Amino acid sequence: MNRRTVAILILAALAIHVWPFFLWLSNTGAHENAFVLPFQNTTSGRKKPFITEKFIIPDQGDRMVHVASLCEMPGGKFVAAWYGGTREGAKDVAIFLSFLDPRKEGSWTEPEVVVDRISASKELYRYIKKVGNPVVFSDPMDRLWMIFVTIPFGGWSCSSLNVKISNDGGDTWTDTTRLTLSPFLNISELVRNNPVLLRDGRFGVPIYHEFIGYFPEILWIKVKKGQDACIEYGKTRIIGGRDYIQPAIAVSNELSACAFYRCRSEKRKVGMGTTVDGGATWSAARKLEQANPDASLDVVTLSDGRFLMAYNDSFNKRENLKLALSNDRGKTWQAVATLENSPGHEFSYPYMIKSRSGDVHLVYTWKRKRIKHVVFNEAWIHSMEKTSVEKREHQ
Amino acid sequence: MIATVFSFLFPSLVIMMLLQMGTHRLNWKTVGWRPALILFLVSVFIASFPVKGLPLGRWLFSFNANFSITLTALLFCRVWQKAMGIKLFRPIDFQAAWIFSAITGLVLYPMALGMGPFDPYTAGWGFSWLSVKVLMITIILAFLKNRFAVVLLLAVLAWNLRLLESRNLWDYFTDPFLTIFSLVMLIIRGIESLRKRPLRETR
Repeated sequence: MNRRTVAILILAALAIHVWPFFLWLSNTGAHENAFVLPFQNTTSGRKKPFITEKFIIPDQGDRMVHVASLCEMPGGKFVAAWYGGTREGAKDVAIFLSFLDPRKEGSWTEPEVVVDRISASKELYRYIKKVGNPVVFSDPMDRLWMIFVTIPFGGWSCSSLNVKISNDGGDTWTDTTRLTLSPFLNISELVRNNPVLLRDGRFGVPIYHEFIGYFPEILWIKVKKGQDACIEYGKTRIIGGRDYIQPAIAVSNELSACAFYRCRSEKRKVGMGTTVDGGATWSAARKLEQANPDASLDVVTLSDGRFLMAYNDSFNKRENLKLALSNDRGKTWQAVATLENSPGHEFSYPYMIKSRSGDVHLVYTWKRKRIKHVVFNEAWIHSMEKTSVEKREHQ
Repeated sequence: MIATVFSFLFPSLVIMMLLQMGTHRLNWKTVGWRPALILFLVSVFIASFPVKGLPLGRWLFSFNANFSITLTALLFCRVWQKAMGIKLFRPIDFQAAWIFSAITGLVLYPMALGMGPFDPYTAGWGFSWLSVKVLMITIILAFLKNRFAVVLLLAVLAWNLRLLESRNLWDYFTDPFLTIFSLVMLIIRGIESLRKRPLRETR
């Protein structure tokens, strides 16, 4: 290399960094780390306590279903997604969707396959061994999003995340886009629980990593301005380590939120972290007194600011499903209702949302054979709380 | 689209390297434009050949979608040398590549896989301290007239053009295979230099 070549090389190096620098400069201040609080302060139109329970799908016989998620679209329709097949991780596992329009007949539509390993392979133009863990959510532009897991080889630790978007309420979907979220072969990234919306249009999707380390993260994702088919994304770590996964985020106000973690270590207690800057940074995890049998849990914020948790109240089994309330932003919890309790059976992976009408919608895996949908209002929770307090006082 | 087309380059280069090794064993002369072009076209054909409905190259891609630009460039240097008889990289350029890749991998992977609360991978989503460091290393290498500077330049260019599936700058510089290869090469070179040292002393 002579001097001229060196000069050209240095100029080229500087020039090539100009474009990313310009993009960074133009985006400075564009990210507004403030949570949107939709429907949080809405209370149910129905004042009297009520609870309804129904199954989204009929008994699956020998087939299994698992990991359901749910969202309400701007039109008021509900969408549920889950995966099912002959067994967990089998090649015939597909991701199903079902719809519910409460203004019409009020029953869930026949489940339809939205993606399986064959269609994912075609769309991603690569080998896919299995699919799983769908999370559905809708954005203010009436787009329906689905983030799910694909696995090219190995087990859940070899998962990577993918996105599909529907602009017509789930009738048609864009081709699958694979997200690169890990530098190590892009494996071990999974998704679970309800995303949070930010003021700048980004979604903070609770994701987690499980390979050598086990830790919760947030995927920041949005559609590029003016480009419907193009998404922007990145991720940040909530905490490191090997103890906690599957964060469930409950928002308190525009800047504050708490994350509650599934515990996969021997501690078997729910973990908790807090943010006061819209999810940009999180506190170290604290161990709560709440038991956790290495199972997923979910939390929503009620209109009075209290947190409601759906969880398995056990150190090692998923045989019950309970609801608990926290009056102190998640530090302590009081069980208020038992939704399921049947030894020898599994009730797991609760997923809760608050609807526009103020009701709480909960879906969960019922004995691995069905997905159950439970709807109740805050008046019902208050009545259950009153009953449980009276019981404790009586004892 | 551009990333899909580009994804065939790495498997094609791997196949071409294997073909070059095969032809060398058979004592076939494959140095020169014409045999190199034929070998490259054959390699591209093999990489595009469908196996169970998927091109062979995409099978490799299924297991790792982001072979770094650095690894691709080092592979290209090797293939080019065998094809044309011209060394694009001198030993010192290779050494710079191995040191850079080994350090990058040793910094990135443990932390990205969960060691500690800090995740350096976050810095790769856009312009950040990572870009500044890479720019500085490129300038220093250019001043030292080290040809590895060109590879770093190409990696950033590829990142701007989104030639890989990943949108993270780290993936354009390094990958686990490159890190392991670089560490192995540095260890081999280290052992070699240790072996040579006593000989010098006895002279």
